[in-house]
Amino acid sequence: MSSGTGNPSIPLFDLRIEDDDLAAVAETIRSGRLALGERTERFEQAFAAHLGARHAIALSSCTAALHLAYLAAGVGPGDEVIVPSYTMAATASAVLQCGATPVFAEIVGRERPSLDPDDVARRITERTKAVAVVHFAGYAAAADRLAALCDERGLALIEDAAHAPDASLGGRALGTFGLAGAFSFFSNKVLSAGEGGLLCTDDDDVAAFARSRRSLGVVRGADGSRDVEGVGFNYRMDEPHAALLLSRMRRLRADVERRRELTLRYRELLAGLDGVLVPYDDADVATCSAYVMPVMLEEDRQVEVSRRLREQGIQTSILYAAVHGFTAYRERFPDVSLPRTEHAARTELTLPLFPTMTEAEQDRVVGALAEAVAA
Amino acid sequence: MSAPTRISLVDETSCEADVEAVLDCLRSGWLTMGPRTQALEQRLGELTGAAHALAVSSGTAGLQLALQAAGVGRGDEVVVPALAPVSAAAAVAALGAVPVLCDVADPLAPHAGPKQVEPAIGPRTRAIVAVHLHGHLADAAALRELADARGLVLVEDCSSALGAPGAGVAGALGVFSFAAGRQLAIGEGGLVVAADESHAARVRSLRSHAMTSGTWDRHRGHDPRYDVVDAGYNFRLDEPRAALALTRLERLAGEVDGRRALLARARERLRGRDDVALVFNALSVEAASPAALPLALPDGARRDRFAAALDELGVPSETLPALHAFSAYREVPGGARPQAEAAAARTCLLPLYAALGDDGMGFLLDAVEQALTRTG
Ligand SMILES: Cc1ncc(COP(=O)(O)O)c(C=O)c1O
Repeated sequence: MSSGTGNPSIPLFDLRIEDDDLAAVAETIRSGRLALGERTERFEQAFAAHLGARHAIALSSCTAALHLAYLAAGVGPGDEVIVPSYTMAATASAVLQCGATPVFAEIVGRERPSLDPDDVARRITERTKAVAVVHFAGYAAAADRLAALCDERGLALIEDAAHAPDASLGGRALGTFGLAGAFSFFSNKVLSAGEGGLLCTDDDDVAAFARSRRSLGVVRGADGSRDVEGVGFNYRMDEPHAALLLSRMRRLRADVERRRELTLRYRELLAGLDGVLVPYDDADVATCSAYVMPVMLEEDRQVEVSRRLREQGIQTSILYAAVHGFTAYRERFPDVSLPRTEHAARTELTLPLFPTMTEAEQDRVVGALAEAVAA
Repeated sequence: MSAPTRISLVDETSCEADVEAVLDCLRSGWLTMGPRTQALEQRLGELTGAAHALAVSSGTAGLQLALQAAGVGRGDEVVVPALAPVSAAAAVAALGAVPVLCDVADPLAPHAGPKQVEPAIGPRTRAIVAVHLHGHLADAAALRELADARGLVLVEDCSSALGAPGAGVAGALGVFSFAAGRQLAIGEGGLVVAADESHAARVRSLRSHAMTSGTWDRHRGHDPRYDVVDAGYNFRLDEPRAALALTRLERLAGEVDGRRALLARARERLRGRDDVALVFNALSVEAASPAALPLALPDGARRDRFAAALDELGVPSETLPALHAFSAYREVPGGARPQAEAAAARTCLLPLYAALGDDGMGFLLDAVEQALTRTG
């Protein structure tokens, strides 16, 4: 992002599209084929191979991927889906879109703001159909334990891997632990294209379902005949986006590696800073996608510290408010109380992190943060 | 230009201005709804004459948002013509509502008017969808009168009618599509227009998760906190597509004029034949932003033979089945639809876009005549 007037001089994220990315998009537009073409298929194959998943279905957004994943799990009116509250609203709103009820569960704590499997287990009822887990900031939640729990209880595990396109747990790619994984290519994400999403699965039926439902429910018979089965949507990705993603994927590993290095450096610089708790452990960084750099401040400092940093030309954000605290959810589910989630959401601040960030920029952020929290 | 040997179903030409517009946007590094989307909405508001214009991810998404803004929800009914793109019924069903499929007037005038819509209205009806089929305008004013009289909301499905004067502004809300083959084609994309600020506000909110501020606002230094006030979606358009739409919009008037001229030429040449009929009348053609050349054969069997012969001669074509011919919509209410079924069986939709040019249209019409002779 060029820094014009009113723009922050150290942005929260910085998206740079390289010349080969531009060439891939230019070539696609010149081809004249803007939808439903081979680039989408090639991107799907590349992403599936990257994850080690059987199928990848490119979609218009991660919200669309979550919606299709829940529907594929059989979620409908009267069902419950256990979801974290410490996430983007999409994880829960896609449940509402199915006519079902999101049941909010706790995170482990501020030092590990990932879904707590023990709390999930306590919230299972006879109406529970699925569990959604978010890999917060790109750090692996306990997908292995949740997969075992879901297997045992006959539930579908859906991974919201919006933050984690190149992260793993025990050598296995995040997104591949449950029935389906959902990825986002929104512009501030690790692999970004403006808008975009993807559903991965090892299940042939789920894949066929997602392919049909992303395109109005259309299915083609062996003889080329066309039918519409069930309620479908337009959740397709177009060709220029697929071309851009396919090109940018070549740098994904290197980008994430750089994000990890910067994250480890942040952790070193922030260690021992009073009033700043850095979640997760150094050891978690090696296999995470380091989507963002969250830190936990003391109570009631969030907005003020954010403002002080902005005065220094540094853009920060609050990654998530607790979803159950939003008006839309308080109205529907008034009695939810999740103290650990609420505490994390009230104290978290997201610092700038992007692959092209310089160490000097990082030093400035840390210096300004130290000053701001001491003020 | 050498004579073509095969023409494509939809326009797949592009120009360097398209490429430059998208690359400029990508180089800027700002890819999510921002200045280009705002400019596009402004321009399309002016073009359609609507008070509010909101870019969305697709025409289907736009219909869902428009219907939801119109108050449609679980258990409600919406009257939709049985001869319509799948998206019209899918958008209703996506809201948990029931599409009630009504008949159309006639295979050669395949719109649903008040006479077809009225019997489909029941106590649970919330809205009527007027479908401007193949870019030809349905009588939205008459449907609006009916809707008003019955306390219903009229939503216009203008997915293939961008550029037809008045499209989208007789109803409370109107929806356009920018998918492949449309007058303004950008891959995937759509637009909702609305007369009322309250409808527009609902669409604006729901298309982006009902969040009270967007990434762009927060980037510009507004309060980092926001609220979520409803169960919304990610139905946003993004900046690369807005950039492409903005540059292609410059060519829209030429595209529509070109299509009209080619359509007039085709009708002129095929008029008066007894083995093929022209769908829509001359008046309707003048007001249209045509999306295809629809021809009606005497019956379904001959249509199928005609389409196969055309394809062999290098002209691809499409058909539009009635919605209730599909498994998903077989059981929906709406009574008998003999005219829609006849139209679906008899009609063949041939390519129509400005880039065909005189040569392409000449090639197409030669093929039509030959195919008619072969199948006659
Ligand atoms: C955890 C999480 N889930 C879902 C989404 C929705 O993704 P999209 O914007 O691609 O619909 C996002 C990001 O926006 C996210 O951060």
